Amino acid sequence: MQWITIYKKEWLEILRNYKWIWVPLVFILFCIIDPLSTYYLPVIIEATGGLPEGAVFDLPTPPPSEAFMMSISQLNTLGVLVLALITMGSISGEKKSGVAELVLVKPVSHLSYLTAKWAAASTLLILSAAIGLIASWYYVQLLFGDLPFTAVAAAIFFYSLWILFLTSISLFMNAWSRIPGLVLFFTLAALMIMSLVTSVFSKYLAWSPARLSSYLRSLLITGDVPADLWYTSLVTAAMTLLLLYAGTKRLKKSSMLS
Amino acid sequence: MMKVNKLTKSFGRHHVVDRLSFQLEAGRCMALLGPNGAGKTTTLRLMSGLLQPDSGTVHLEESSGDIRAHIGYLPQHPQFHGWMTGREFLLYAAGLSGLSKQKAGRQADWTLDRVGLKEFRNKRISRYSGGMKQRLGIAQAIIHQPKVLLLDEPVSALDPIGRREVLDLMEELKKETILLYSTHILNDAEEVSDEILLMHEGKVIESGTIEEVKSRHQMEKLTLKFSMDSESWRDYVSTWPAVERVEIHKQTLHVYVTDSGAVRKKVLDEASRDDWPLVHFEVGRPTLEDLFIKAVKNHAVDHHL
Repeated sequence: MQWITIYKKEWLEILRNYKWIWVPLVFILFCIIDPLSTYYLPVIIEATGGLPEGAVFDLPTPPPSEAFMMSISQLNTLGVLVLALITMGSISGEKKSGVAELVLVKPVSHLSYLTAKWAAASTLLILSAAIGLIASWYYVQLLFGDLPFTAVAAAIFFYSLWILFLTSISLFMNAWSRIPGLVLFFTLAALMIMSLVTSVFSKYLAWSPARLSSYLRSLLITGDVPADLWYTSLVTAAMTLLLLYAGTKRLKKSSMLS
Repeated sequence: MMKVNKLTKSFGRHHVVDRLSFQLEAGRCMALLGPNGAGKTTTLRLMSGLLQPDSGTVHLEESSGDIRAHIGYLPQHPQFHGWMTGREFLLYAAGLSGLSKQKAGRQADWTLDRVGLKEFRNKRISRYSGGMKQRLGIAQAIIHQPKVLLLDEPVSALDPIGRREVLDLMEELKKETILLYSTHILNDAEEVSDEILLMHEGKVIESGTIEEVKSRHQMEKLTLKFSMDSESWRDYVSTWPAVERVEIHKQTLHVYVTDSGAVRKKVLDEASRDDWPLVHFEVGRPTLEDLFIKAVKNHAVDHHL
């Protein structure tokens, strides 16, 4: 089946250009940097000269769930940037170089082409985020106290939906432009607009995908999945499918030829 | 047999392909000729299913479903993933064509052997030469044993050795498939193809076997070269009856005539009587190039009147 062929080829590419090493490493770094630096801040201040005589600087140790949320928020900023960077040329680059011409002259559907690429990139990013978050959980467990693994696993599951949504935005933008830089810009712009609109109309947009990660906090604290998180996940999944559908439609209309 | 019927495609207000109709017979090879911008590439892309026509149809006998499954296509500048090896790319192309894993492996090895890339099969494509890339492009086009093979300028960008190799390969391939290729190198058209289709501004202006086309343009050519003052000789010769057109290139007069016997006699008589400063005289059939230029010019004139 053509879908599998494209998915496999994408993975071969990920192996060849070492994305399978550096993306997980970068995600681990993003995930552990905040919990570690928060924990060791007093030591760091001491080592770099300390506070002036008599100054009292009381740093409250955050609860484990809060420390773990620091990793999530790092992924939401730097992680999203990495995601947009590695997916920006997924289709637009092939259109630009002309390889797409050799692919689409074979009996391949636009849907397979787009979704196989989406699935391959998402697999890499979800695995990387999961590894990063488990590393973070390890340090949180070690330095801040107990955080049940079931809650962390549930958080990773819901966060994966967010990643699937993000890659679908990037692939959708790929269908529109043949310039990878523009795809990057549009993807980040779309995300910024979405989070802005969500925070302005927060009353009406309680289930906006942009709020998905904020619901993870109560999941980590209580261990229960809040109802809002379920609904937000549904909305996120639906929007992901919609973006993939619209991206395929757009791809069919656009000229894939260089 | 492949039938192209009133195929039309415009980009903006410009008709790139305009009600194009022709058919390709099995076991025949056709060359698509025409100046740059005639619509050759667009025609091939429409036939391969890469572009959707505004109107008109492309029909392949004894085939159903996705026409792309029965077509092999080589773009003008085939691009590959440089990080793949030749064999990996062919396996990819075979998988995209819907071949099973085992069949893909067999076909990849067979085509690699066929296009002469067997010993380079595990080398990265980024290190292939231009000729090797072109042959890999042909390999990916034939990997699924298509009924129709469409090649866009298969030899134009190659050096003489690469050209020879690809032309020989095309000679073989035309025995198995319907082969259509575009070119603007007329020698290559004369060498490989049985028929030509001459396009200009999206329309077919000449078609048939090369002999047919030549005889249809019943026209012969005299070449004259003078040691001096070619311009005034041109003006003189063009006033003769039976002379259709006189062109001058590098002091050489190309005289296109409808009755070569009469003109030849007149030239020889006058040359000896008046002692023309003639240094070269030749009577010959026009080459495909002459036909090409004549047909395109005629069409352009008709078109703009």
